Amino acid sequence: MTDTDFLQADEQALAQRFIDDGFVTTPSDDRAGLDRIQRRAAELAADYLKLPHSNDPYAMLDTIHTRVGVGDLNGLRLHVFNGLNAEPWFRPTYFRLARSTIETIVGNELCMQRRVNLSIQMPGDDSSLLATHSDVWSGDSPFEVVVWVPLVDVHRTKAMYLLPPSVNGEMQDRMAELRSAEELYRTIKPHATFIEIPYGHVMLFNQTLMHGNRVNEEPGTRWSMNCRFKSIMSPYADKRFGEFFEPILLRPATRVGMQYKLPGGFHG
Amino acid sequence: MAERTGHRGYIGARPLNGSRTPQHVQNIVIRDYARRKNLQYLLSAAEHTMPGSYMVLEDILDELPQLLGLILYSIFMLPPDEARRREIYDRVLREGCDLHAAVEEITLASRKDIQTIEDILLVNKYATIL
Repeated sequence: MTDTDFLQADEQALAQRFIDDGFVTTPSDDRAGLDRIQRRAAELAADYLKLPHSNDPYAMLDTIHTRVGVGDLNGLRLHVFNGLNAEPWFRPTYFRLARSTIETIVGNELCMQRRVNLSIQMPGDDSSLLATHSDVWSGDSPFEVVVWVPLVDVHRTKAMYLLPPSVNGEMQDRMAELRSAEELYRTIKPHATFIEIPYGHVMLFNQTLMHGNRVNEEPGTRWSMNCRFKSIMSPYADKRFGEFFEPILLRPATRVGMQYKLPGGFHG
Repeated sequence: MAERTGHRGYIGARPLNGSRTPQHVQNIVIRDYARRKNLQYLLSAAEHTMPGSYMVLEDILDELPQLLGLILYSIFMLPPDEARRREIYDRVLREGCDLHAAVEEITLASRKDIQTIEDILLVNKYATIL
């Protein structure tokens, strides 16, 4: 693919990695912005738990399972999710974390999911797992990508797994014979890769590929955010423009084009 | 046995009876229904968009031993095949759970409730609303 001189060598390499592996991980374009998000998440968690703000937000998040039970986890998650999404700087900052990669993989006229999702996976907790799925199966467009950002280091079961493009199609062809998502996971398990991402890095992945997570068997809690981006003029599915996505970058030529009307009054 | 918690929501990405409802609106309807009926709402699972897929519903049915029941956005999300629907009713009741449909405000909590649901589905299949 991308056998074009119009892309720079580093862009071609990135695009090829995305096509071959189904994901790319890179250091965040805006480390200070990521630290700000991490710090605000830790503050919101502390507020919810009526604790003083910590000087070490990483440790606060990574060890949250020592301070909250499974029964109160969704309440905590919603508090932090709503608090982050209410910050006017949050979504622009989230975009800046991965802007160069998004623009290489998707384009530079973009729409973004209206609310950035937050996941918290405490060690041993099976209450908030995401079964094997492709986002397209639940109404996302195959033209979307997901920007996935951990707020702590993630590896093995503390991370998410992804099925490589080389086997995804073959597994998908067998899917209609299977009864449940758990059965699907058992089928794909030998091929699935848990992606290691250190804090400070971001991942952009192809959400048409099967992915999900399992019970976190590592000692720390996983905190991760995910948000979908797509080229504004590419096809939409059930997650519609306006209700699920909103424009964040629309260029003047497109605005001009959308407003242009051919001269009328001809009756030939 | 682990303690049972709440009612799992069930939404979809496919049109129902030719109409489409955004998924976040489906969740609002379910959440409101749960609030009014004093049910503990557990985050919804979204059925696949592929026609004829009920994999996500099957996962919820597997989860029933840990649940008090499930809340469908609509009764019309059940499979069109009657035998398959009756298997679902049987599993729900056998597990001591109940099944709700938020839009139609219908509850299936015992065998006598099955006919009400089946009547609606069958009439809808043959009658046309102009």
